[in-house]
Amino acid sequence: MECCGPGYSSPLEAIKAPREKLLYTISIYTGTGIQKPDYLATIDVDPKSETFSQVIHRLEMPGIGDELHHMGWNACSSCFDDGSMSRKYLLLPGVRSNNIHIVDTATDPRAPSLYKVIDGADIKSKTNLSGPHTVHCLGSEIIISMLGDAKGEAPGGYLHLNKDFEIQGRWENSMGNIKFGYDFWYQPRHNIMVSSEWAAPNTFMPGFDLEEVGHLKYGREIHFWDFEKREPIETMYLGEDGLLPLEVKFHHNPDSSHGFCGAALSSNVIHWWKDKNEKWQWEKIIDVENEPHPEWPLPVPGVMSAILLSMDDKYLYLNNWLHGDMRQYDISDPHNPKLTGQVWMGGLLGKAPIVNGVKMAGGPQMFQLSLDGKRLYVTTSLFSTWDNQFYPEIRERGGVMVMIDCDPIHGGMSLNKDFIVDFGKEPNGPSRCHEARYPGGDCTSDIWL
Amino acid sequence: MTAITLANRDRKTFEVNPKRPILESLRDQGVDLPFGCKYGGCITCAAKLISGEVDQNRQVALNNRQINNGYIILCVARPLTDITIEIGVESHNQLYRNPFLDPLKPHELKADIATLEEE
Repeated sequence: MECCGPGYSSPLEAIKAPREKLLYTISIYTGTGIQKPDYLATIDVDPKSETFSQVIHRLEMPGIGDELHHMGWNACSSCFDDGSMSRKYLLLPGVRSNNIHIVDTATDPRAPSLYKVIDGADIKSKTNLSGPHTVHCLGSEIIISMLGDAKGEAPGGYLHLNKDFEIQGRWENSMGNIKFGYDFWYQPRHNIMVSSEWAAPNTFMPGFDLEEVGHLKYGREIHFWDFEKREPIETMYLGEDGLLPLEVKFHHNPDSSHGFCGAALSSNVIHWWKDKNEKWQWEKIIDVENEPHPEWPLPVPGVMSAILLSMDDKYLYLNNWLHGDMRQYDISDPHNPKLTGQVWMGGLLGKAPIVNGVKMAGGPQMFQLSLDGKRLYVTTSLFSTWDNQFYPEIRERGGVMVMIDCDPIHGGMSLNKDFIVDFGKEPNGPSRCHEARYPGGDCTSDIWL
Repeated sequence: MTAITLANRDRKTFEVNPKRPILESLRDQGVDLPFGCKYGGCITCAAKLISGEVDQNRQVALNNRQINNGYIILCVARPLTDITIEIGVESHNQLYRNPFLDPLKPHELKADIATLEEE
């Protein structure tokens, strides 16, 4: 079904979209020792192209020290009926600088250009917020989770921008008793938003002190919001099962109430849903066991820093950044996930130190799935200071992007032997790639009203 | 004026206004330094103090072990005396540690949660 606005009429229509030919990933120099700006890299992912599997363009940010991290679109399928909107601008927040860069990807998709910068100091003075993370569009407006106040203390709040990228103030009417912010996703037909918890910017930006988890400086709760009233209504205390609950995803199916959260340090997947009595319930459905390591006094946790659902909601993908594996679970029955695929790449357990000829530094970290569910692009850097603690050799080797071929019918995943982008060989020296997006929308951007 | 000597830049010395943050003063004089948040919260601009004293009361990024190892946060630190520092990631050899292999003792945590060191 064709309409006038951006995106697709439904998740099933999105799956039928043409194959992606380009993708964008941010790459950082912040914290690496190289005095260059972070940048947005364009990767050629068209196997028929001569520059397949290469960086074909680099858009540098105006200054150094932003730490680009996650990104989001100005518009998605939530604007499908709005002919005045188009998926043209990619928003690139700098976690450390607080600047939000608006990049025009439509004028020349291969060579995006900087359209506007929302000054970090302006955001602080107008909203008392800092530490931008997740970007979602809602209709023609944009909200961004901000993990701290202007001084970097939790819980922060939500920055509201209009479609012209002007600061509208705070989105939320109340933060209730929420202690920390991180990721969020909403399901408008149930009038619900779910948010998760990392820590205050002043806690996580300098690096990870494990002891601070016990001192309750890191999160262990997820929060359910009345989306229209813009205020939290219920908190789920996950406890030891949910230490550092990071990424949250609802099913793409807008009628579904099922959603999932990856608790990074506990390395568990938490599943939530609305029961027959209209009550929100949660359960732990996946528990990645800690693994012994010859040189470690304690077993190594997986560190599940990201999760992703395929557009048909059949598969959940997760990473174990310290173990070094990507996993695919069939969640057709969301209460009973089945492990259907696993690929090793890097990590501390030594299972795949070299991938497609590249010596790995880091483990699987962020990933983006093609709309048809067949290609998963995976990067290896988490966050500059945390990389420096767990994988110090990433300074010399940089990050990499690999492609995993996925079978959306029968399940299964395997490393693609023809694709690898080695950010260790970038012209200005080794950089570190993180989140990726496709020009036509992807599996972590679109929400249906 | 106060003198800042860069131990790992051929001991080059800069005269600075002691009331201004060191990062700002050095960058104004053309020293290329890393930085991030510019309010003392993110550690990107950390440098190592070799001699002299600074006031870095506004920093909230360092734990007590990092402070005991001489780290200072240049975006908020101001010199109280003439100082000598090492700058850039070459000075970061003790800044980052694997938190599972090398845990902090209670007195080595950040100031707001650290306990007093037991004698």
